[in-house]
Amino acid sequence: MNKLIQIFQKMQSVDRRYIFIVVALSIIIPLLIPFNSKTYVTEPTESIYRKIDSFANDKSKAVLLSFTHNASTMPELFPMEVAVLRHCFERNIKVFTICWLPDAAPLVDYAINTAKEDYNVQSGIDYCNFGYRPYSLRIPIMLGMGENIAESVETDSQGRKLDNLPIMDNIKNYDDMNLVIDFAGSSSAIQWVMYARAKFGANVAAGITAVMVADNYPYLQTGQLIGMFRGLKGAAEYEKLVDVFASYESPDYPNGRPFSKEIIKETWVPITDDKIPYKYKKARIGMNAQSVAHIMIIVFILLGNIGYFLTRQKKKKIV
Amino acid sequence: MKRQIPLAIVITLGFLFVIHTFVPHKISQDFYDWFQTWIKAISPFAVFLGVMSLFNVHRTKISRRVPNWQYSVITLIGLFFTAFAGFMWGTQEGTPYMWLFTNVQMPMSATMFSLLAFYIASAAYKAFRARSAEATVLLVAAIIVMLGQVSLGAAITKWIPETSRWILNVPNLAAKRAIMIGVGLGMTATSLKILLGIERTYLG
Repeated sequence: MNKLIQIFQKMQSVDRRYIFIVVALSIIIPLLIPFNSKTYVTEPTESIYRKIDSFANDKSKAVLLSFTHNASTMPELFPMEVAVLRHCFERNIKVFTICWLPDAAPLVDYAINTAKEDYNVQSGIDYCNFGYRPYSLRIPIMLGMGENIAESVETDSQGRKLDNLPIMDNIKNYDDMNLVIDFAGSSSAIQWVMYARAKFGANVAAGITAVMVADNYPYLQTGQLIGMFRGLKGAAEYEKLVDVFASYESPDYPNGRPFSKEIIKETWVPITDDKIPYKYKKARIGMNAQSVAHIMIIVFILLGNIGYFLTRQKKKKIV
Repeated sequence: MKRQIPLAIVITLGFLFVIHTFVPHKISQDFYDWFQTWIKAISPFAVFLGVMSLFNVHRTKISRRVPNWQYSVITLIGLFFTAFAGFMWGTQEGTPYMWLFTNVQMPMSATMFSLLAFYIASAAYKAFRARSAEATVLLVAAIIVMLGQVSLGAAITKWIPETSRWILNVPNLAAKRAIMIGVGLGMTATSLKILLGIERTYLG
C-alpha cells in the first residue's frame, strides 16, 4: 500500500510536459490512423438538416451562411460549413454566404471551393458570396435584409450588382432567405435572433465551438434557435446525415432519399471507406481524436484525484 | 467643448434611437435609413485608425528597442506584406494572399487555439480535485458531459448522453438565465446612465 501511495505521490508532481506528450499522441494517432466509430445524430443537428432539406429544389427559398469567425476556430467550424454547403449543392438549394471579419473572407472562398469541386454549380446562379462586410455594419445589414437584400447588401464579393444576378430571382428578404446559420466561436448568433428573428421572423440556427454550447443553450431550448451544431460533434453528425440521405444514390432515389429517423438510427457509415472523400469525413475523423482526448482527460482527472485522496489519508494518519 | 460636443451627440442620438425603436413612424424609419448610410461612411475610418494605431505602437517599440522589439518588426512586415499581396494580386484562390492565408495564418491560428487542449489536460490533472462537495458535483458533471460529447458515452450506456443533456438543459440553463437577466439589467442601467449623461468615462 505504501508503495502505491509513493507512486501516486510521485505522479502528483509529474512534469507537465509528460502530460502534454500523452495528449499530443492521443490526438495525433487517431488523426493519422482513422478508425470506425459510431456517430449518434442529436435533435439540434437533425432540425437544421430537416429545415434545409425542406428547401430542396425550391427556387423561391434560400439559406444564408454567416461566417463570424477566423482561422483559429476553423478545425471545429469548417467541417460544418463544408457539410452544409455540400447538402445545399446536393439538393439544389440556393445558398448565400456573408462574413463579418476581414480574415473570414478567405475562409468563405475556401469552404465554397472545397464543396463545389464535386458539383456543377455556378456563382450567381446556384450560390452567391456577399463577401466581407465590416462588423460595425452587421446590425444595419441584418435589419436591411429584412426589407430588401439587394438594397441592403448591394453587391456580391466580385462587385456584381445583386439585382442583376439570376440567384436573386424570387429572393427578396427573410421571407425567402428563410434560414440563417451563424458560424462562430462566440454567441454572435444571438444577434440574428434579436434582429432577424424578432423583427422579421427569420429562422436562425447556430454553428458554434463546443466551449460556447452552454452559452447558447437558453436560445435553443426556447426555440429561438431552430437548431445548433455543437462543436465538432455537430459537424460529424451533419456529415453523416448528408452521407446517409442527401448524397445517397440508388435507382429508387436518384436525387438523395428523404430523411427518416429509423434509417439514421440503423445506418452505420464506415469512415475508413475510401468512397467518401477525406474532406467530407474530416469531422468524424476529428471526433475520433476528440473521443480519445476526452478519455485521456477523464483518466487524468481520476488519477489526480486518487493521488490526492491517498496523500490526504496518509497525512491524516501521520497527524 | 471637447467634452460637451461628444456628450451632446451621444445624448441626442441615443434618445433619437430610443424613439425610433418605440415609434414606428415613417419619419423615424427615414431617419434610421439615412443614418445607416452614415455608419457605412464612418466604418472605413475605424479601419484606417486601427492600422495607424498598430503601426505607431510597433514603430515606437522598434525605435526604443524595448525587450522583444524583434517581434514588432515581424508584425509590421506581416502587415505590409499581406496588405501588399492583397492589393497587388487580389484575394482570390491561387493568389499569393490566399497562399499566405492557407499556409501561414490558418495553421498558426489553429495552433494557438489548439494549445487549449494541452492546458485543459494539465489543469485537469493538477488542479481538478474533489476537495469539497461543490467541487465533487462539478467534477462528476464535467466527466458526464465530456463522455456525453463523444460516441463512447452512448456506447457505454444511453444514460450518459441523456444525463449530459439534462445537465445542459436544467442546471446549466438555470444558471445561464440568472446571469443573462443580471447582465441585461446591468446593461439597461448603464445605457440609461449614458443617455442621461451620468456615465461619462467613455469620453476619456
